Amino acid sequence: MTYAIKVENLSKRYLIRLGNPAGSLKELVEHYRRKFFYKITPKFKTLGPDPYEVIIEEFWALHDVSFEIPRGAKLGVLGRNGAGKSTLLKILSQITEPTSGRILLNGEISSLLEMGTGFHPELSGRENVFLNGAILGMGRTEILCKFDEIVAFSEIDKFIDVPYKHYSSGMQARLAFAVAAHLDPDIMILDEVLAVGDISFQKKCLKKMEAISNSGATIIFVNHGIDAIRQFCNHAIVLDHGRLILDTDDVEKAIALYLGED
Amino acid sequence: MQIIEAGASNQHYWRSLWAKRSLLYYLSRKDLSVRYKQTFVGVAWVMIRPFLIMVVFTMIFGAIAQLDSNGLPYGFVVFAGVLPWYLFASLFAETSGSLITNGALLRKVHCPRLIFPASNLLVALVDFTVSFCLLILMMVWYRIVPSWQIIFFPVFIMMCACTAIGLGLIAATFNAKFRDFQQLIPFLLQMGMYISPVGYLNQLVPKKWEVIYSLNPLAGIINGFRWTLVPESIPVFIPGVIYSAVFSILALLVGVKVFRAAEANFADTI
Repeated sequence: MTYAIKVENLSKRYLIRLGNPAGSLKELVEHYRRKFFYKITPKFKTLGPDPYEVIIEEFWALHDVSFEIPRGAKLGVLGRNGAGKSTLLKILSQITEPTSGRILLNGEISSLLEMGTGFHPELSGRENVFLNGAILGMGRTEILCKFDEIVAFSEIDKFIDVPYKHYSSGMQARLAFAVAAHLDPDIMILDEVLAVGDISFQKKCLKKMEAISNSGATIIFVNHGIDAIRQFCNHAIVLDHGRLILDTDDVEKAIALYLGED
Repeated sequence: MQIIEAGASNQHYWRSLWAKRSLLYYLSRKDLSVRYKQTFVGVAWVMIRPFLIMVVFTMIFGAIAQLDSNGLPYGFVVFAGVLPWYLFASLFAETSGSLITNGALLRKVHCPRLIFPASNLLVALVDFTVSFCLLILMMVWYRIVPSWQIIFFPVFIMMCACTAIGLGLIAATFNAKFRDFQQLIPFLLQMGMYISPVGYLNQLVPKKWEVIYSLNPLAGIINGFRWTLVPESIPVFIPGVIYSAVFSILALLVGVKVFRAAEANFADTI
């Protein structure tokens, strides 16, 4: 079996500015002005420390991570807050670039890093389906073809022309998931998509994810609820402080390791 | 097979922008339809703002200061200046803020970031077209018939849009990191309206200052814009127009370059 995703020595570094952060232009100019005067007049130092001194610290959100996901796998990514899960997903979704290393992808990737990104409260459900579909990468004709299916899945057919802001949060979540669920990508990234919505809807989502997976897609799934990972995934990786500490087909073992860290 | 690594997003950039054209369409449509929801007069706002500026400027410069309008109705002179100025000002302001406005989207969705300024352009052109209809009505009212020079009209619209987008992209790039530009831009635009020939004809500028005055790229654009409509009454200051044309192309090229150079990090810096 060939791989869907191959991650090779992936690292991501963030630079953190400490001290009075040079967030504004004035502070930055002041910082360089002082730097310049320090150089030409050593006596200037006696005036005390530079309040605009900026210390740049490195932070490795991901450190030399390598793994391979076979095509059609259902990968669960486990790790505590700050372990690097979001950074990994952001790099996979091409929202940010890695500092070093690379990823080889076999197929189109679609990612849902947040439920309802780009949904506008003033627009109707119908208009939002088209907007969000386009945001997730669907073309106009593709959305038109799938529109009825999306509405049927979301179970809000009666309210589809009502402004989105009048929807209950459950309805909003259902519509958002419904659009994303009809993407048919080769690789699908889902980050905390089950966080909203009631139990029956969560079950429906998992069923739909199962169906997408059965159609041959590879799914990368991040969820804080362990049960959904246990039920759905057949492969898991565990991240800790930006490093990969486990890559296994034994999901139970990964969950045990993840829970054991607490 | 696709490879993700540092610098890889620069390949096939324009092709992926084209592939996302339906996103461009829906983003622009959203901006157009959302803007005037829950307002009473709705789309009429597009016309009301330039119209009110015209009324005020006509009163100040035409009725009170009694500036020369080369025999044209003063209201028409002002409106023909307000239109390109509004196109520039709104497009520049929107573009410079586009990364911040779309910050939530930018952090969660992959797409060529130029799509946001591009949707600003579409929206600004729609607004322009709407208020341009008002100008046509005015020309009918005053029985002003354009001559063959009207064929240059789109050229000046393009110059205006290129200048606005180019400068806007540069401002947007810096704005992603330093929000100072967000404070500065409304102020600059307020001043710009007076140093550009919006409420008066640029022929009124004394000869010795003509060159310095024309350093403002909007001077040539607005002058040319009026000239295409009424060539008999408005002489065109050729060096100024050429300067504005060169400026607009350079602004666009530099703007796109600066924006693209910083683009990969926008999700981290915003």
